[in-house]
Amino acid sequence: MRLCVGDKEKEGDLVRVGIPRTLSFFTYYPLWKPFFEALGAEVVVSPISNKALLDEGVRETVNDACVPIKLFHGHVAALKDRVDILFIPRLVSIDGKVTLCPKFLGLPDMVRCSISGLPEIIESRLDLKKGRFELYRFMFRVGQRITDNKLRIIGAIWRARYSFYCYRKLLLHGFTPLEAFPLLEKGIIPPPKVNNGEIKLAVLGYPYALYDDYVSVNLLKKLEGQGVSVVTPEMVPEQMMKKASKKLPKNLFWYYSNRVVWASIHYLQDKSIDGIIHVTAFGCGPDAMTNKLVELEAKQQGKVPCMSITIDEHTGDAGVDTRVEAFVDLLKRKKGIL
Amino acid sequence: MKGYLGIDVGSVSTNLVVIDEEGRVLVNLYLRTRGQPIKAVQDGMRHVEQELSGSDIEICGVGTTGSARTLTGVIVGADTVKNEITAHAVAASHLVPDVQTVLEIGGQDSKIILLRDGIVVDFAMNTVCAAGTGSFLDHQAARLNIAIEEFGTLALQSTGPVRIAGRCSVFAESDMIHKQQMGHTFPDIISGLCDALVRNYLNNVGKGKDILSPVVFQGGVAANAGIRAAFEKALGLKVIVPEYFSVMGAIGAAMLAKSAVREKQETLFRGFAISEMEYQASSFECQGCPNLCEIVNITVDDEVLARWGGRCGKWETLRKTG
Repeated sequence: MRLCVGDKEKEGDLVRVGIPRTLSFFTYYPLWKPFFEALGAEVVVSPISNKALLDEGVRETVNDACVPIKLFHGHVAALKDRVDILFIPRLVSIDGKVTLCPKFLGLPDMVRCSISGLPEIIESRLDLKKGRFELYRFMFRVGQRITDNKLRIIGAIWRARYSFYCYRKLLLHGFTPLEAFPLLEKGIIPPPKVNNGEIKLAVLGYPYALYDDYVSVNLLKKLEGQGVSVVTPEMVPEQMMKKASKKLPKNLFWYYSNRVVWASIHYLQDKSIDGIIHVTAFGCGPDAMTNKLVELEAKQQGKVPCMSITIDEHTGDAGVDTRVEAFVDLLKRKKGIL
Repeated sequence: MKGYLGIDVGSVSTNLVVIDEEGRVLVNLYLRTRGQPIKAVQDGMRHVEQELSGSDIEICGVGTTGSARTLTGVIVGADTVKNEITAHAVAASHLVPDVQTVLEIGGQDSKIILLRDGIVVDFAMNTVCAAGTGSFLDHQAARLNIAIEEFGTLALQSTGPVRIAGRCSVFAESDMIHKQQMGHTFPDIISGLCDALVRNYLNNVGKGKDILSPVVFQGGVAANAGIRAAFEKALGLKVIVPEYFSVMGAIGAAMLAKSAVREKQETLFRGFAISEMEYQASSFECQGCPNLCEIVNITVDDEVLARWGGRCGKWETLRKTG
């Protein structure tokens, strides 16, 4: 059964599409939001991650999943009674070369098995290995779940494309996704951010770990508070990523892991950073490789200090505080600021 | 004469040190925290006051470190509140100026700090596992009914240490029980345990680090001659245990306080009278949002001294009016 936008609109009501605020949210929200809105749907986003959401997620999820996946379940649970459709696409490959972490591939199934009382789910498969136009074919398929009007879908794809283009530009200008979202709403693209911190750190990790302040225990804000300017993988231009990827004899199998390793290579060759912090979720399989590669790169390239921070379900941030403070101290003393 | 007080409140021990202008240790105290950091600090302050009575030493600066550093900082009025890594590194490079590697094993933390030319260039801390830290050794000593002080000397009597799995403290314990039921002697088991803990430390905390001489070993566990010998065997290097190995964090905090006070020319120290005040720590769950943060209140005579624990910071800013 398809929920028809036309029928709903006639009743003066919009179809509500729910998007969980984690995992691919930080990569794709500026694409999906205008897309669904142009199709005539209302986009509902789950609340900012909090303890209650995580607790709910931990209850619902298989025990040995990583925190981000548990949190995703919490977000879905928070949305399920407030929307008509949940948007949980099956992201297989988003660069046309490698796949995402297996948990992304099985995400819709995992959620459906764990949480009961779910509304309709759009779980269309996005696999860009099928060709460069696959993204549009995918969006077309998704659009058809909302409306029969093909012209409207094509129009929505164009609108989404433009918003996504602006978003990428904001990221390249040095804004984090959290800073970019409101700018995007207002439709302004300020000039590239000038880094004026005493020290500059590359904070590397998956977007859902870096930009979710609850999961990262406010890491980015803490660093900012200590006079550190931060760069992340999302701020590396595509051609630089490509260049960095050539340095390795072989790439990893997972999209986000590759981005982290390439970003570390890029920033190290750039020689503009004073240190690297790698943020990893406890129990993350791909990160066993990623972490070591980042560490080895940092060591090779002139011994740039490198630290990894493991995030888990803990709410006490004492451990992170101690490490971050000591790391920043180390860099400041090294530079002669302290 | 000017003196500087350093306080390191950790999970297991609370250490207080007073140093003079040249960094010489005048008073050093090692107490057990016993789960009551406020009481431990107050007891410590009472002791320090007694030791200083009759001398002309005046406390001109206070620094705190350790996992209860913020709490302690509020109670005593600290001039600097620093993390343990910085504090340990400062102390080690003061006592052994050309130190390149610091191995530190405390109650629940273990860390490695690499210094080159007196500057910290890299460090690592144990992640989620407490195997190999003081509290595990404490626990094993209690289980075997041996005083923890004898642990090291017993290990040194071993002629053929047995192999114990050191990857996880739970597995290590079952392995030890197995070996003891098989009839191995105490010294061999304990020596095997020391080897296992050192192996675990080097593979986990010291993973991929260039451990160069001089190596300084500090923290409460450095008292254990068995672990010290196991380190020397595994590294093939001489391991220096400084005279004040168990209070190095506090020495570092005192030295940091000295430089902090030099800059601002005054101290926030609330005086030794704090050991007689009624400090109360209470906590409540903030209902403001779904995060349900646990807010801690520190009060003295019904006056709120400090609040923390919230994610949004609203309670912290209420401290003055609260």
